[in-house]
Amino acid sequence: MRLYDIVALVTPDLADEDAQKVASEYRKILTDGGAEIVKDEPWGRRRLAFPILRKREAYYHYFQVSAEPAVVAETERRMKLSDQVLRHLAVRADVELKRAAKFAAKQREKAARRPPRPPAPMPPAAAPNEPPPMIEKGEPS
Amino acid sequence: MSPAPRGGTRSATAGRDAKTGGRKKFFVRRRKVCRFCAEKIEYVDWKDIKLLQSFIPERGKILPRRISGTCALHQRKLQTAIKRARSIALIPYATD
Repeated sequence: MRLYDIVALVTPDLADEDAQKVASEYRKILTDGGAEIVKDEPWGRRRLAFPILRKREAYYHYFQVSAEPAVVAETERRMKLSDQVLRHLAVRADVELKRAAKFAAKQREKAARRPPRPPAPMPPAAAPNEPPPMIEKGEPS
Repeated sequence: MSPAPRGGTRSATAGRDAKTGGRKKFFVRRRKVCRFCAEKIEYVDWKDIKLLQSFIPERGKILPRRISGTCALHQRKLQTAIKRARSIALIPYATD
């Protein structure tokens, strides 16, 4: 199971309820294939940054699913065939998120390890800091 | 034609050196810091249009690292995020 981000842009010609129906069709395909829906957000009608098939807006629907690759491939295939879906995007999210989480954990660990150190270098750092102000005083014009 | 202006510039620089002496005026350039590192944004989300938009100037191009100060790692992530957002028309490819 992999985590995917899937977005579908449904034609603005359809009413919002109908667009939601189209979205639920894909939801059904996903769940039938054994996918687990993590997030299911209708972003609603949005202006497109550029026209797609002469349309200036579209109904966006976002899913975050944990699914097998084959299931996502199938939904993508259907989206591609559908005339109601102007465009879609399906990308893996777990790789990046995992890496981000790992990095964040490492940072936290580093931060936890750091505190004992500062007290020692502080006094010497304060001493060399005293002369520089003299130089700085001369510089600003 | 060419010798005259060259001589002129040379004397001008000499004059400036003499005048300014030690009081050279520096532009104190603020050191650029990678925004993602500073704010600890590890995952550059392609859905976060507001964030991505701040790296897209008027023209719709991706702001170069040399200007934004983003570190190489995050610029790469930002790049893919912007490209993904573009593909579903959240962000323009180009504007004029």
